[in-house]
Amino acid sequence: MKTGVRCQVSGVSKKRKKVLCPLALLLFCSFALFLLFTIHCSLFTAAAEAKVYVDITSPEVKKLPIAIQEFNGKEGKNIADIIREDLDFTGFFLCLDRAMYIESSLQAFNSKNWTVVGAEAVVKGNVNGEQNLIVTASFYDVFENRELFKKEYKGEKGSVRQLAHSISNDIYKHITGENGIFRTRIAFVAEDEDKKGLYIMDWDGTGIKRLGIKGDFVLSPHWSKDGARLLYSSERGGKWGIYLLDFTKMTERNIFEAKGLNMTGNFFPDGDEIMLASSKDETYGLYSLRISESRLTRITSTRWIEVSPAVSPDGKLVAFVSDKGGTPQIYIMSKNGYDIRRVTFEGSYNTSPGWAPTGENIVFVGRSSGKHQIFTINPDGAGLKQLTDRGNNEDPSFSYDGRFIIFSSDREGVNGIYIMRANGESQKRITPAWLRAFGPRWSPN
Amino acid sequence: MKRFLVLVFALGFIFAGCAEKQAVKAEQPAMQETAQKAAVPEPVKKAEPAPVAAKEEPKRVETVPVTEVVEAKPVMTTFENIHFDFDKYNIRDDAKPTLKVMSDWFVKNKSAKMLLEGHCDERGTNEYNLALGERRAKSTRDYLVSSGVGKDRLDMISFGEERPLCKEQTEECWQKNRRVQFIIKNASEGSRK
Repeated sequence: MKTGVRCQVSGVSKKRKKVLCPLALLLFCSFALFLLFTIHCSLFTAAAEAKVYVDITSPEVKKLPIAIQEFNGKEGKNIADIIREDLDFTGFFLCLDRAMYIESSLQAFNSKNWTVVGAEAVVKGNVNGEQNLIVTASFYDVFENRELFKKEYKGEKGSVRQLAHSISNDIYKHITGENGIFRTRIAFVAEDEDKKGLYIMDWDGTGIKRLGIKGDFVLSPHWSKDGARLLYSSERGGKWGIYLLDFTKMTERNIFEAKGLNMTGNFFPDGDEIMLASSKDETYGLYSLRISESRLTRITSTRWIEVSPAVSPDGKLVAFVSDKGGTPQIYIMSKNGYDIRRVTFEGSYNTSPGWAPTGENIVFVGRSSGKHQIFTINPDGAGLKQLTDRGNNEDPSFSYDGRFIIFSSDREGVNGIYIMRANGESQKRITPAWLRAFGPRWSPN
Repeated sequence: MKRFLVLVFALGFIFAGCAEKQAVKAEQPAMQETAQKAAVPEPVKKAEPAPVAAKEEPKRVETVPVTEVVEAKPVMTTFENIHFDFDKYNIRDDAKPTLKVMSDWFVKNKSAKMLLEGHCDERGTNEYNLALGERRAKSTRDYLVSSGVGKDRLDMISFGEERPLCKEQTEECWQKNRRVQFIIKNASEGSRK
């Protein structure tokens, strides 16, 4: 089994490895923790000042011109290319063309070589080792002519992408003050021999793995806040049940089953309570379920369709889809089912609501000229924005930093998974063309 | 089987004229019923008190049951799918003849149970489509219940857009997929996948 030794810098990697190999996990956990401390203590050189180079919270972001030099040594170009792709996608960096560089990768950093090409920050690095790689990355501020940080990353040759993503995370954090998404994963649904299964991959579309769950159909999953569990609805033997997968043990448990259609929503912030839509006992409506106590509470009861409940990040509100006005539209209510108000009024078909992590807006699918597109809207119904315009686009959800949106689209024929910035820029497919993929959800870490 | 199909087609053609349709709908099954009822008891009654006409009657005794068996079997496993409008789950008029035949069939097959499968076309959101498929199954169930079929004999499931009959992106194909499909659940009757 190819278990990538991930970069030990990131504490997050502990959880991730569990997916791959529970046994290897224990070893790495302790190892990773150990290194986490040593690296933090010894390798940060100049991370003390909290200078924010790019204020990504401002509406008009000025991109930071950055030079990412090929790293010296094995996989050095590959690593530099991955960092470049990562940073470029965010829209906060202007990655300068390598052909412009005057300073060679073997030369020591000299700010004069970079001011002339317009770089404000420079990344240089070295790779040592053949199978077990030790990568040293250095990050420089050109104006101040100094090293911002120098850090060592270790990993197997096979985990070179993760290594590079970790470097991207550190650069991103240094420049923006926020955590990067470059080590996150995507859970999604894909089709294989007419059966729909649950899959997992890195955010850049690499490392696709199928989770070995049963059943012919599964719907878009939801992550728990700690990234250790996955919640989803699956049809098995003519029954729709709700299941919870625990990555730490690689086990799955049926947490809700009833006659009728049962489809899960997401977790409340406490990580134990969830929202779901059910036609249990033929009383159609939305319910909350406290998993630890198997306690089901009916929130709404309706003779219309009410589905896709989405709990707001603060846990106080629930957005959902109802056709009580004659067409499917998005509504919001309090957690207890009070103060129901309609959010969408444009168009005759609005579904799949998902909250931005700030709670400031909702991403959803709306039908426009017969095609399905991704929109965002404020919870009060103002600020409607259309983000896509090619093909049919479905299943949108925000990344946990709120900077990006992941969705599925048939714009290039076969349905695949795409990512874009939260404002709709930089739309790109991340799944391979041969894989019919749907319902992506971004991991929280 | 053929008679049943003819019946369905006939009703479908006359669909345009509402008044006529009702008249036909009432007539034809009624004819079918009386024909069967008349045919079966007749030989029993006539065979005993009137031995004089023995030459003709044995033929009738033998032939009538045969045609009845042929007629009953195929009907049990081949109910046509009924179809729905885009984004809608109300029972269309063109589905009513099928449902009428079906409720009659339930009267005759007292132990029969049926699974109503709701389906949608590919357009639309997965979760909403599943709910839509379920509502299509429920409208169908409610319609059958209102025409006298016991609720406990009808089960429902929705497959949303997951099991299309047709995979092209044309209205003709989408219409085929927006359907309720009927699966007879008697153990003796092979169910269709």
